[in-house]
Amino acid sequence: MKTRYIKVIRDLTSDYSKNIMLIVAIALGVFGIGAILGGYSVIKREMTGNYLSTTPASATLELEKEISKGLVDSVRKIPGIKEAERHATVTARMKVGDKWFPLLLFVIDDFKEKRTNKPHPLSGETEPSPGSMLAERTALIVMNAKEGDDLLVKTPHGDPMKIKLSGTVHDPGLAPAWQEQAGYGYISLETLHALGEMQGFDQLRILVSEQPYSRDHIMEQAQVVARQLERAGYAVHEIQVPSPGKHPHQSQMNAVMSIFIVFSFMILVLGSILVATSMATLMVKQVRQIGVMKTIGANSVQIMSLYAWMMVSLCVLALMVAIPLSRWAAAGFYRQLAVLLNLEINNDSIPYAVAMIQLGSGLIIPLLAAAVPVIRGSRISVKNALDNYGVSKKYSATNSWIVRFSQLNFFSETFRLAIRNVFRQRSRLVMTLGLLAAGGAMFMTALNVSEAWETNLKRIYTQRLYDLEVHLNNFTPIDSTVRKINAIHGVRAVEAWSSSPTSISKENALNITGTYPDKGHASFSMLALPVPTQLLNPTIVEGEWLHDPTAHDVVLNQSARGLLKIGDEVSLAIEEKVSTWKVIGFVEDVGSHATAYVSLQPFSTLTNTTGQAEMLRISYLDRSKENAMRKNVEIEKLLEKENITISSTVPVWLLRNAIAAHMKVLVNSLLAMALLMALVGTIGLVSTMSMSVLERTREIGVMRAIGATPAKIRNLIVWEGLLIGTISIFLAFALSVVLSAYLGRVIGDMAFRTPLSLTLSAFALTTWIATIFVVAYVAVLLPARRANRISTREALAYE
Amino acid sequence: MHTEQPKRLIELSHVTKSFPSVSGNFQALKNVSLKIEKGQLVAVTGKSGSGKSTLLNIIAGIDKPTEGQVTINGVRVDKLSESELATWRGKNIGVVFQFFQLLPTLTVIENIMLPMDFCNRYPKNERRARALALLEQVNIKEQADKLPSALSGGQQQRAAIARALANDPPVIIADEPTGNLDSQTSAAIFELFAALARSEKTVIVVTHEKDFADYFKDVIVIADGAITNETVPA
Repeated sequence: MKTRYIKVIRDLTSDYSKNIMLIVAIALGVFGIGAILGGYSVIKREMTGNYLSTTPASATLELEKEISKGLVDSVRKIPGIKEAERHATVTARMKVGDKWFPLLLFVIDDFKEKRTNKPHPLSGETEPSPGSMLAERTALIVMNAKEGDDLLVKTPHGDPMKIKLSGTVHDPGLAPAWQEQAGYGYISLETLHALGEMQGFDQLRILVSEQPYSRDHIMEQAQVVARQLERAGYAVHEIQVPSPGKHPHQSQMNAVMSIFIVFSFMILVLGSILVATSMATLMVKQVRQIGVMKTIGANSVQIMSLYAWMMVSLCVLALMVAIPLSRWAAAGFYRQLAVLLNLEINNDSIPYAVAMIQLGSGLIIPLLAAAVPVIRGSRISVKNALDNYGVSKKYSATNSWIVRFSQLNFFSETFRLAIRNVFRQRSRLVMTLGLLAAGGAMFMTALNVSEAWETNLKRIYTQRLYDLEVHLNNFTPIDSTVRKINAIHGVRAVEAWSSSPTSISKENALNITGTYPDKGHASFSMLALPVPTQLLNPTIVEGEWLHDPTAHDVVLNQSARGLLKIGDEVSLAIEEKVSTWKVIGFVEDVGSHATAYVSLQPFSTLTNTTGQAEMLRISYLDRSKENAMRKNVEIEKLLEKENITISSTVPVWLLRNAIAAHMKVLVNSLLAMALLMALVGTIGLVSTMSMSVLERTREIGVMRAIGATPAKIRNLIVWEGLLIGTISIFLAFALSVVLSAYLGRVIGDMAFRTPLSLTLSAFALTTWIATIFVVAYVAVLLPARRANRISTREALAYE
Repeated sequence: MHTEQPKRLIELSHVTKSFPSVSGNFQALKNVSLKIEKGQLVAVTGKSGSGKSTLLNIIAGIDKPTEGQVTINGVRVDKLSESELATWRGKNIGVVFQFFQLLPTLTVIENIMLPMDFCNRYPKNERRARALALLEQVNIKEQADKLPSALSGGQQQRAAIARALANDPPVIIADEPTGNLDSQTSAAIFELFAALARSEKTVIVVTHEKDFADYFKDVIVIADGAITNETVPA
């Protein structure tokens, strides 16, 4: 081996503690990138693969009448239609323990020859015998049942009936049942009839034969089919065209992952800033050696290559540690996400491109960061190198304001010197502050967003002043029941509401929504409520809340707002009837799908349901989950006694849990990122502070020679560390406010369909302040002690 | 590059070196001319700040003159670029420092092999043998595989001299090489320089040590940037 490379190895191993810090800093960034990118690439591929494996319908047409087999056959013959199938979806309820939970029943025409939205059989029967059903695998937890068990099921028009769970399936097109706090079952039409629900198939699912991923083309084709159906006497009241080929959670996942990827690269950039500061210090420390090497014949390129090799070695070591660990972490990450998204990982191979990106970024970013100090150090002239005294001898005249500031009377001599020392090496100060500010900002951002997340979960309770939402089977006269519920001890208020799926109506066009087959994702509802209401307190962002019980006013929430403005007239379709409403306000409504709020009175007139309601909202004096669960049972018993059939019940605590479950893993991942950031930031502080002390060993010797006690020197250095830490905290805090607002908007939009309110976590700030102070203190104390231990003579001779 | 070996090895002609300072240009060397022959052992003396080190730096190609010409071994050193100078210096000049300046993470023998590596002199498999021979020449062969920190000051300076000889340069320059050593060790070092001169090396030593004046036939005395008492033929 060439002698010069022996020097590289020896230099690397002689200061192993500092070099290990550098390796850790680079490795953390490479690890983050690999874990996130690896997890994401597998999930993205599997999400698409899983979803497409079910052959999702291009569109679903909701018809008023029962669809016959002959009609399906005729639709199949329409040019541009590859496949057609009839279907029905019924929202029923299932009893788990002593509580009723929503159960989405998918009624399948032909289990043997299912053509669209095909679930994958897992165990037991593939075609449920009459009186039994197949359960989606994630629903078993909510059902608290296993294959072979009986489940008490009640449809809107039927009596409770035991249904056997005769098999399980996996339906990757559905969010996990535990997330929605609902069950998913697959039954035949015969079983639906046995359950007392006498309806037939009322949904027509179609697959287009061309341009399967063009939403415009699908909408066009769906309207062609709808018009043909209407000509045949079948009214179509809604066309659902979900984003073609896209899993219901695809866009959310893309947005979250892009944030994580940015965070991972930021960790690497932070690590690289650390590398740059370390290399700058190393070059200062080695400048005399550079002078000697140049004297004995080395040219600038040879010197540069020496330090470049040193950097490459550090990077390679970091990559060797980080890449295998990141693959392991990526596996954990995609497994967690697969659970979150109800996916089956069929191919767990992480694409080679991920390792290539890690290799590239783990080598290029730190090398680029180190390039400036290395090139500058290598090109120093022999004379300047040999004359070098380590720390800059110059004290710039531009620092005069620092001198004046430090001369303020109330500062001690030691503190004055500390202030001047902090601003002595400005470029390093800027890099150290940049590192700490970025690390601190991201640490605080992650905690701020996490706290904002919790706050928004609480907003579900402050906006929804009810505890139970009961959907009735039909519009029902309910006044006497409302009075009876009001009389129940512990009930604060009860109101009769109504709701209906809706869509914005355009002239000569059918109503097209983006709703997915689970009826939840991308749906749009009209909610009619008594004005004034005691049970809803949405945040008004523009305009006003409903105030005239008779007016055709509408207030839209953030998901329904679109491009509409206050004062606009909007045509909304409800059960084939198009009505015009005046937009008077926009609200922010945590956790709701697109919703148009209107007064109950005009809604009832429009739907001929005056004096009737389709929904009850009830609030309790004690809003605890335990009390709500008890009261909910009491209310349901009362409704049963009153012969009022319930379609579904949604307790608010269940809604809160459903939303929390949706994003839990992602919020936890954000917190893990925060820890990584904090780690890199503090490594940076330890590294730069200890280097700043080491390179001044000779100066410390001088100070001791003129009478400074070890305690004085220690205090001086500790003050320097604390000063840098303090400045960085201010910068980090300011940056974290901006980042928290941005990230809160992205995550809030995804989870709650409204931005998270900007929350500045006191815990985050105090934790970061404490971390910085403790780390700054420890980081300088150890090298200060070491510098104090060296004799004055040795310190003066130190190079 | 001219490679002929003239008898007159070093020739400075009207060399001036100025440094900018707050009070205008400071002249460290003023119109200095001198000639040094092959195999001469020359002492450069003078008070602190007189210009001794500047003169040495200019001869070693560490610094460039503001005016004048520097010709060493037939090469116009003042015309070379930084990169050309590095290679030229590695092959033609051996430098010995006051504080030895051995690289602390390399062993003694590795320190001596390093100039051969940088200048690509001698086949790789011969370098260690040559380094050992040089260490034997300066009487510290047994210290070859130790780190510099394990050696005494005198041994470190011997190692530094061996390093200066690594590429067999015709000129050895030493800037106060015994400034950090006791008198007995200093005597041994001067003896080494004398032996080198006898073996046709040109040795230029900046020294304040009057006790060792006997070693030097030729002495250059510098005061205020000018040669005031030169025994070297000009």
